[in-house]
Amino acid sequence: MKVKTTVNGQVYERETVPYKTLLHFIREEIGLTGTKEGCAAGECGACTVILNGKPVNSCLVLAVEANDAVIETVEGEGAGNELSDLQAAFERHHATQCGFCTPGMLMSIRDLLRRHPKPTVEQIKAGIEGNFCRCTGYVQVIEAVLDATGQSAKKGELKHVS
Amino acid sequence: MNRAFDYRAATSFSEALGWLAEMGSNARPLAGGTDLLVNVRAGLMTPTCVIDLKPIPEITTLSFDEGEGLLIGAGVTINEIIESEVIQQQYPLLAICAHQLASHQVRNRATVVGNIVNASPCADMAPPLLCLQAEIEIQGNDGARWVPCATFFTGAKQTILKPGELVSRIRVPAAMQGAKGGYKKLKRIQGHDLGIVGVALAALDSAVHIAVSSAAATPVLVKPFSRTDDLGTVVAAVCEAISPIDDVRCTKDYRLFMAETYVKRLWQEVVA
Amino acid sequence: MYHDASPESLRYVGQGPARLESKQKLTGQATYVADMAMSGMLHARVKTSPHARARIIKIDTSKAEALPGVRAVVTGEELDYRLGLYVVDKYILAKGEVRHYGEAVAAVAADSVVIAEKAVQLIEVEYEVLTPVLQPLDAIKEDAPLVHADLGSYDYFKPAFTPQPGTNIVNHNKIRKGDVEKAFTEADYVIERFYTNPSVQHVPIETHVSIAKWGTDDQITIWSAAQSPHTVKNLFAVAFKIPHRNVRVQVPYIGGGFGGKAGIGLEPLVAVLSRKAGGRPVRLQATREEEFSLLPCRSGLQQRIKTGVSADGRILAQQMTQYWDAGAYADYAVNVQRAASYSGSGPYEIPNCWVDSYALYTNKPYSTAYRGFGHVEFHWGIERHMELVASAIDMDPLEFRLKNLLRPGSRTITGEEITPHTGNVIKCVETVAESIGYGKLTDEEKEREQRTGRKIGKAVAALQKAPAMPPFTAASVVAKMNQDGTVTLNVSLTDMGQGTYTSLAQLAAERLKFPLEKVHVAFETDTDRDPYDWQTVASKGLMLSGNATILAAEDLLKNAYEVASQILRATAHDMDHDDEKIFIKHHPGRSISFKEIAVGYAYPDGNGIGGPLIGVGRYIAQGLGHIDKETGQGLPALDWTYGAHGMVVEADPETGEYTILKIASAFDVGKAINTGLVRGQAIGGMLQGLGTAFCEGYIFDEQGRLLNPSFTDNKIPTAMDLPLEVDAYVVETAQIDGPYGARGVGEHSMISVCSALGNALQQAVGVELTHMPMRFEDVWRALNNKTPIDNWITKSPVGSCRSAPELRRHE
Ligand SMILES: Cc1cc2nc3c(=O)[nH]c(=O)nc-3n(C[C@@H](O)[C@@H](O)[C@H](O)COP(=O)(O)OP(=O)(O)OC[C@H]3O[C@@H](n4cnc5c(N)ncnc54)[C@H](O)[C@@H]3O)c2cc1C
Ligand code: FES
Ligand code: FES
Repeated sequence: MKVKTTVNGQVYERETVPYKTLLHFIREEIGLTGTKEGCAAGECGACTVILNGKPVNSCLVLAVEANDAVIETVEGEGAGNELSDLQAAFERHHATQCGFCTPGMLMSIRDLLRRHPKPTVEQIKAGIEGNFCRCTGYVQVIEAVLDATGQSAKKGELKHVS
Repeated sequence: MNRAFDYRAATSFSEALGWLAEMGSNARPLAGGTDLLVNVRAGLMTPTCVIDLKPIPEITTLSFDEGEGLLIGAGVTINEIIESEVIQQQYPLLAICAHQLASHQVRNRATVVGNIVNASPCADMAPPLLCLQAEIEIQGNDGARWVPCATFFTGAKQTILKPGELVSRIRVPAAMQGAKGGYKKLKRIQGHDLGIVGVALAALDSAVHIAVSSAAATPVLVKPFSRTDDLGTVVAAVCEAISPIDDVRCTKDYRLFMAETYVKRLWQEVVA
Repeated sequence: MYHDASPESLRYVGQGPARLESKQKLTGQATYVADMAMSGMLHARVKTSPHARARIIKIDTSKAEALPGVRAVVTGEELDYRLGLYVVDKYILAKGEVRHYGEAVAAVAADSVVIAEKAVQLIEVEYEVLTPVLQPLDAIKEDAPLVHADLGSYDYFKPAFTPQPGTNIVNHNKIRKGDVEKAFTEADYVIERFYTNPSVQHVPIETHVSIAKWGTDDQITIWSAAQSPHTVKNLFAVAFKIPHRNVRVQVPYIGGGFGGKAGIGLEPLVAVLSRKAGGRPVRLQATREEEFSLLPCRSGLQQRIKTGVSADGRILAQQMTQYWDAGAYADYAVNVQRAASYSGSGPYEIPNCWVDSYALYTNKPYSTAYRGFGHVEFHWGIERHMELVASAIDMDPLEFRLKNLLRPGSRTITGEEITPHTGNVIKCVETVAESIGYGKLTDEEKEREQRTGRKIGKAVAALQKAPAMPPFTAASVVAKMNQDGTVTLNVSLTDMGQGTYTSLAQLAAERLKFPLEKVHVAFETDTDRDPYDWQTVASKGLMLSGNATILAAEDLLKNAYEVASQILRATAHDMDHDDEKIFIKHHPGRSISFKEIAVGYAYPDGNGIGGPLIGVGRYIAQGLGHIDKETGQGLPALDWTYGAHGMVVEADPETGEYTILKIASAFDVGKAINTGLVRGQAIGGMLQGLGTAFCEGYIFDEQGRLLNPSFTDNKIPTAMDLPLEVDAYVVETAQIDGPYGARGVGEHSMISVCSALGNALQQAVGVELTHMPMRFEDVWRALNNKTPIDNWITKSPVGSCRSAPELRRHE
């Protein structure tokens, strides 16, 4: 079946089998491998992309369902080689460790910031509830979002005992 | 996906119904896919074709008027329920329960209709629809009919839908607008999780409706109560209506205890 | 090394620079194995056992082989290779007998995953189902069915392990310090309890994935999400009796490991599929479900602790018997168990201490290393026990701990003397106690109790861990100067997210006095390119590879000075370096830049001297030895990192539901090389520990089938599960032989989190919990004096949970 999508502003037209998930379509047919698979069952959020303006688990969407859709992935988050403010805040705050959850996490937050330009800590937590991170413990992610939205540039402190 | 199947996009209910009739049990309707695709991957469902209902224009209906009440089309997602102002104002229990369902991403795809057709005992949209006296519109090749939500569930993951039938809409009666409500859902973690046991309560005028999830083979609507009923009697009636079991999520004993506790607490918070 | 460097003299050490590779990860450009595709690549799927223990009568693969697109099918019968880190007990595919649910019995490589999946379904296996042995306490019984009837014929690492043929005991270690029998008779109180915890999964978000190509002339290339490329190479070469030089292991970015990817995993299986498919590369990625049962987990532990104390609260004697549930294969489990025996008392001074620690085979998914390497499991018992002992003798648990914790002059249970630079556990405990306002509720907290009807409890738990590794563990680093004067480090320690590469770059930049951005660590590891490192485990990376990095930088400097000395006509002694230049101290204007000598220096007339600048650093653990098999005495630990957690929990006295209000953690890291990374380890491990404390754990039915092999019923913490307040502290008692005084801290944050929670729940609502996880139902069962059970299916009784309001100290 033919699928035509706009991913990060670029139009792609590909022939695909009907049972291919959007996740595999993006990774294998379009060749953007930033978006990850962690469970293939809608639980972990590693596969989160923004589909027609809403974040979804791309492992639970068929590529054919995304015909004519507009999709945003992590590869479109920065501008060329420049990190977005959000990515730059992630970098400063050590909000990525192994990095496997990061692409999906960034997409959830990108959407969160469109809904809530200055999210509270509670809103941030709810916004990334569907994105498992086994490494960071989320604290530095939350701090990065607060910084990226101009609410607090304060770096979480590792307290030294004298 | 790890298994092969075909895909067809239906543009009308009659087209979808025709295909379902043609392919019989080999075909499965596809709404948000958050149950269907998970089940296919796990090998629990093996359709040779999925029929996407989303291109059917009228399934996006989400409307309210004093006559018809609230109409929820088969394509309305859980997040659309949460975001709907009329629901927040007139049927807050729906939004409260919707909020408890899965994660934000899943809720962007998952539909209310898919949730009840899937008919899991833990379906979070079942208790509010039961409490609010909702009705389900079923379409078959011989026309459409409305059935009360209370008769919709027939067993674990079983409904009264006959092969080849579809759910087109859900109606929540206008008479239930303004019902106050609450939902308590026991989970293993604070993050998104299936309910271990859930109790929803809706109170309107003197009537109080209680429904329980994950405490029997189907979501359970308990007989209606009145505000003036003695709480002890209410609790006893709820316990009588449910039949919890032991499973990987918890024991029967704890389910029973928590259902009881939640009924008491919701009664205090909403009714008293 | 340089442990006494003054903080003012340091440019990068002690700062918190961003990770070297963060841009790659943040833009989605970092390439993980799952992102790699090769021409001609086939896709594999595995047929797994639905039974915990069964004889394989027949496997019929004919239908699978006939399916178009299938390129290779393998079964155990044709693979006579055994693997094992310490006990060589595991075939690549089950042969003759399956020993656990989810074990691989056959595999297929095909043109697509869909075809491979279909082929796997077409494979027919006939089993004779046998009665499994599922509990360690059953496995140790004399008449228990044997998981490995041939244990006596297996090869094993003799200096450290003692398998007992004819039993399910794959290893037994003893610690014998003093005379516990006698000391118990002298004690005023003797308190004994039984503690248990189930097997759990590591759950890296990236599941195991490998690609292998078995080329002509037995040239094998493996791309794998593996923590320890040289160990994969070594075990692979040994199993297949192929020269090491033929095997090349490449590891790109890894999506988390936590120990689950520490040994060898899917690599041999994909390699034999590739061999059978004529050398085409074959890729196998575990599904999330397979991650739970085909791949290894963490051991369960059942532990009896008996402690004798004096009336004034001194521990006089302690006897511990640990029964480790290794599962079907020994893998790392025997070494986990061994480490847990010599560290088994936790950070306490115990004059008379006996430990008997058994690793037992059972018919369950096998277990391996997991962050904490046994210490999460046994500290669960130890730190709950300390709380209960203190309560039993009516002493404040904090005071009791402070009285008995290790301090300079103390001797550990293996006889090692604690010195002033070993690390300061007392300070860690005091720090977290102060941070949570131990011992009393603030007005705000009291008001909260009133408002919510819930009860608040506060408690602490201490911890210790040393790297568990062979006493002669080694690492090496090569520092190569590029033509522009920048430096590339080659290491085969992997960075799976813990951030060690960034710390290594900081150490190299510090020694070279180079700007940090001029130092690069090659991210993708390649055993053909990168020098040897034993494994990326044990929190030894920073210490061993950190020291090797310093030595490599110094070796590079030595070579550079040699050339500079000729050019500047000065002795090395009279020269110094900074600003990417070597200069004469007395005439700083006379200098030569590193760039000019990076690949050799050319005089104006074209004559060359020097040559490419390379530095080599090698480091091996020093002074350690095998511990005595009869007494457990000896020096097993490279360094001890101590720590503590303080926890504030709020619990519903009726339902058992609870919320964690605050957790404060402190670790004596010697020196925090990168403060941001240390904090990341502290918090990440804390939440991972909390997951195992409140919900994670394998649930089996009576037949040994795993009932919760996915995220549906094996939850891990989400952002919503964070404690409301999280604090991370470091104490810095320099480790003399650590790089700039540092010691490892990758695993420690996960240890004792569960004990702190159990202790805080005890203080909140007066429950005695001895089983983890502590699900809400467990707390409720304790409150109501119901039998504690391991899971809701088999309902096997575990531990001794009970309502114990008298154990609450803080009203
Ligand atoms: C990670 C995750 C977490 C979840 N957590 C929760 C939770 O907390 N609570 C909860 O209640 N649920 C939860 N769910 C399930 C929830 O997402 C679904 O029940 C959802 O509401 C189903 O809607 P859908 O549109 O995705 O249905 P689909 O998957 O498209 O369909 C569900 C079933 O209904 C059939 N069907 C769909 N539409 C029709 C129709 N109009 N007529 C007839 N048959 C139809 C399909 O063939 C299928 O059998 C979770 C799911 C996931 C993946
Ligand atoms: S891969 Fe899609 S949610 Fe896990
Ligand atoms: S950074 Fe590893 S899973 Fe989030």
